[in-house]
Amino acid sequence: MEKELIYHSLFILLLIVISFMLLICLIRAVKGPRVADRLMAVNMMGTMVMVMISVLALLLQEGYLVDICLIYAMISFLSVVVISKVYIGIYEEQHHKQENTKGGNADERG
Amino acid sequence: MNAVEWIRLIVGCLFILIGMVIFFTELFGVFHFKYVLNRMHAAAMGDTLGISACLIGLMIFSGFNFTTLKMFLIIVFLWFASPVSSHVLSRLEAATNENLSAHCEIYEDVAVLEQELAAVKDDKNTRKEEATVS
Repeated sequence: MEKELIYHSLFILLLIVISFMLLICLIRAVKGPRVADRLMAVNMMGTMVMVMISVLALLLQEGYLVDICLIYAMISFLSVVVISKVYIGIYEEQHHKQENTKGGNADERG
Repeated sequence: MNAVEWIRLIVGCLFILIGMVIFFTELFGVFHFKYVLNRMHAAAMGDTLGISACLIGLMIFSGFNFTTLKMFLIIVFLWFASPVSSHVLSRLEAATNENLSAHCEIYEDVAVLEQELAAVKDDKNTRKEEATVS
């Protein structure tokens, strides 16, 4: 009984500390001046949520929550890679479009 | 609770404390540095080292289970995934920032950088030789 109480209070304390850290991460994600800042903050939040899910798995004595944690890690990694690639593609497309319109105007003037 | 369980509790708490300290350092670094590429250096630390320490502490709590094995799998996956995501993020920053040269030195030709690094290395080697001679 004593052991269960110690572990329970320890896990609750851990969850509270990690949730405060998550809040600070969220501030960085809102403040971040560039897109890479926000993506980096989201990545950090994903890491902390993974620790939270693992703690919950031990707190609730449900082993399958760790599976969810593993899948969360994969999706978090995939989201960062895909969003970065898509953003680079969109940025380069817009850049090329601007150059083309500028070039077209110059040709018309010529 | 017998002695072994107390030792398990204390060692697990120690690892989790290390993990929390590393997470705190990560947050401090993210707010302390002024530019994304510097911040990324602090943020990549928590992805591998912080979560490894936390999960090793939780593994010690949980004992020999399938849960332990899955947690180990998470650590191994993040060791591979975190450097890749950091690399992709820095590539995003380098590709989309138009005045990157205001924040860091840019070498158009990689050979120039290699020459400079070789010069530094030679300099160090000669200094070492001088030190050993004297």
